[in-house]
Amino acid sequence: MASFLRPGLFRQTCQNPTASQCMLSTFTSSSIKRATPLAQQLRPSFVRSAIPKSTRIAAFHATQRQQLLPPQPQKILGTVNDPAPVPTPEPTHGAYHWSFERLVSAGLVPLCIAPFAAGSLNPVMDATLCALLIIHSHIGFEACIIDYFPKNRVPVARNLAMWALRIGTVVLGVALYSFETNDVGVTEAVKRVWHA
Amino acid sequence: MATTRALTRLATRRTAVPPAIFTRGFASVDPIAREPISKAAEAAVPDPARKPVPESQTSTIKEPEAEKGAKIKTFHIYRWNPDEPSSKPRMQSYTLDLNKTGPMMLDALIRIKNEVDPTLTFRRSCREGICGSCAMNIDGVNTLACLCRIPTDTAKESRIYPLPHMYIVKDLVPDMTLFYKQYRSIKPYLQRDTPPPDGREYRQSKAERKKLDGLYECILCACCSTSCPSYWWNQEEYLGPAILLQSYRWIADSRDEKKAERQDALNNSMSLYRCHTILNCSRTCPKGLNPALAIAEIKKSMAFT
Amino acid sequence: MASQRVFQLGLRRAAAPGFVTFQPAGRIVQRRLAATQNVTATESNEILAKQRLQRPVSPHLSIYRPQITWYASSLNRITGVLLSGGLYLFGFAYLAAPTLGWHLETPSLVAAVASWPVFAKVAAKATVAFPFFFHSLNGIRHLTWDLGLGFKNKTVMQTGWTVVGLSVVSALYFAMAG
Repeated sequence: MASFLRPGLFRQTCQNPTASQCMLSTFTSSSIKRATPLAQQLRPSFVRSAIPKSTRIAAFHATQRQQLLPPQPQKILGTVNDPAPVPTPEPTHGAYHWSFERLVSAGLVPLCIAPFAAGSLNPVMDATLCALLIIHSHIGFEACIIDYFPKNRVPVARNLAMWALRIGTVVLGVALYSFETNDVGVTEAVKRVWHA
Repeated sequence: MATTRALTRLATRRTAVPPAIFTRGFASVDPIAREPISKAAEAAVPDPARKPVPESQTSTIKEPEAEKGAKIKTFHIYRWNPDEPSSKPRMQSYTLDLNKTGPMMLDALIRIKNEVDPTLTFRRSCREGICGSCAMNIDGVNTLACLCRIPTDTAKESRIYPLPHMYIVKDLVPDMTLFYKQYRSIKPYLQRDTPPPDGREYRQSKAERKKLDGLYECILCACCSTSCPSYWWNQEEYLGPAILLQSYRWIADSRDEKKAERQDALNNSMSLYRCHTILNCSRTCPKGLNPALAIAEIKKSMAFT
Repeated sequence: MASQRVFQLGLRRAAAPGFVTFQPAGRIVQRRLAATQNVTATESNEILAKQRLQRPVSPHLSIYRPQITWYASSLNRITGVLLSGGLYLFGFAYLAAPTLGWHLETPSLVAAVASWPVFAKVAAKATVAFPFFFHSLNGIRHLTWDLGLGFKNKTVMQTGWTVVGLSVVSALYFAMAG
């Protein structure tokens, strides 16, 4: 059982003060006119609401850069003593995904250094570089989508983005295969354009 | 409320002493009503040999020189009043004479509350950096106000904000409910089924105990979690560095037997793996801990298994 | 006991008019000028939920001090998106080129770039080289973190600025001389 002060009633008694209360309060009608912005803010809220809006002095505003998704009003499920829900384990999205991601990134390191050392790569190495690049880019974009499009907030946008990414990655795969086969390959192309 | 007490004083004005029963629970203590109790305490512990130190052997506390050489510093503090919920949060400026203020930011905040603006609201308790109550964003960095020295350069103005991207109860007080719920969800207690081998304590070698150094000292101030951009964007699902550090504290404890379950609880796309090693957490920890390293160790322990 | 005496004194003094009434069972009732109200647990939770809806969120990106930690991390993500985005767009364009009448085969690309003025070539190369080197070098930094190395604050700052410096130098070198 909680008992607490209802501000409404208190406000009423103080806005029409009786004689005995008047001598306690420093608030008189004349003091409003002497108000500076700081003094206005310092008055207790019940007094401040008595000041007509037109005479209230504007305060500072802290601007906030626009985010992708502004935060929703706060909602807590349960009380502070209920633990936050623990999701069911999904290693394919958890530890396996992380390990795979690091393997791909580690594999890319020698493959990106080699063209600088060897000039350009033979088709097999080039194809491997392309494949790892495609996978690495896909994982990177996927991380961005998961970070910035939460499922419980924007489920449709999240699904659309993920499918667009998957389709895009497949199309890129086709494109780079075609480039590799019908053209010179990525490393050779970069080399030629660079020295154009 | 203050008016009730004042009215009570008026009503019993005949005698100079307000009745002790009406002064229940107020922050200020009535000195006259307290006297009989303190005298009783003196009577209970007599020490006739203890004489007061004579004046010739004590120092004199001089009055500070007023206004000459006063170092006035400006503080901009984030304010929001829940009694006017539709109002926008704003920055309120205060000036203080640093010569009369203690060295830490918390001293400045307390001085402002005592002498300038009593409505300024913030959490504080131990004033020595161990309770974690006064965690806030000072000059852009999350730290404890009681451990953050006021920069003495009066040309620069200090900015005090509450912990970033938290729902604000009032002024500098954030709502820590979700943080505590997340802490509870990792089961921060020893989970063990087998009884101790000698029937007495769960023993641990010195090397095993050393693994907990840098993990157990966490005071759950939430400076690190609220400095993490991933936690800003995904607070509901990502646990954040503080909670993950504590999770590792139990994973690394040799006496705990539920390591696999603890790791399973983190084995999804959000709880642990929203960490992209941004490293704001270790940079900002006011106790010098390294949550980023703990998270890396969790990831290592879960990789390729 | 001293406290009992104070209580009795208080009772005597409290026989003043107005705010204290003494009831037969010895209970003392105070009259207050403010109204109080009993609230059940569910009601108070509802009040709390309503209050929570009004709360603002404290500022974050706009007020947090720029540090090499999160600036380097955000730059890593931005450079990654730019490089991969460029690759994806090139891929789509390459597949769509025959339909749209563009020529994106290597000879055409080389001929097009060769016709640019020098400063345009250098600028374009630098714009591609810097993100590539920064993302690659920072990627190596990330992989060392994944091994559990280099987590001290001082090390993080040193490696961070080293990566920035190296990428600028490499980008300039390869843009102008490479």
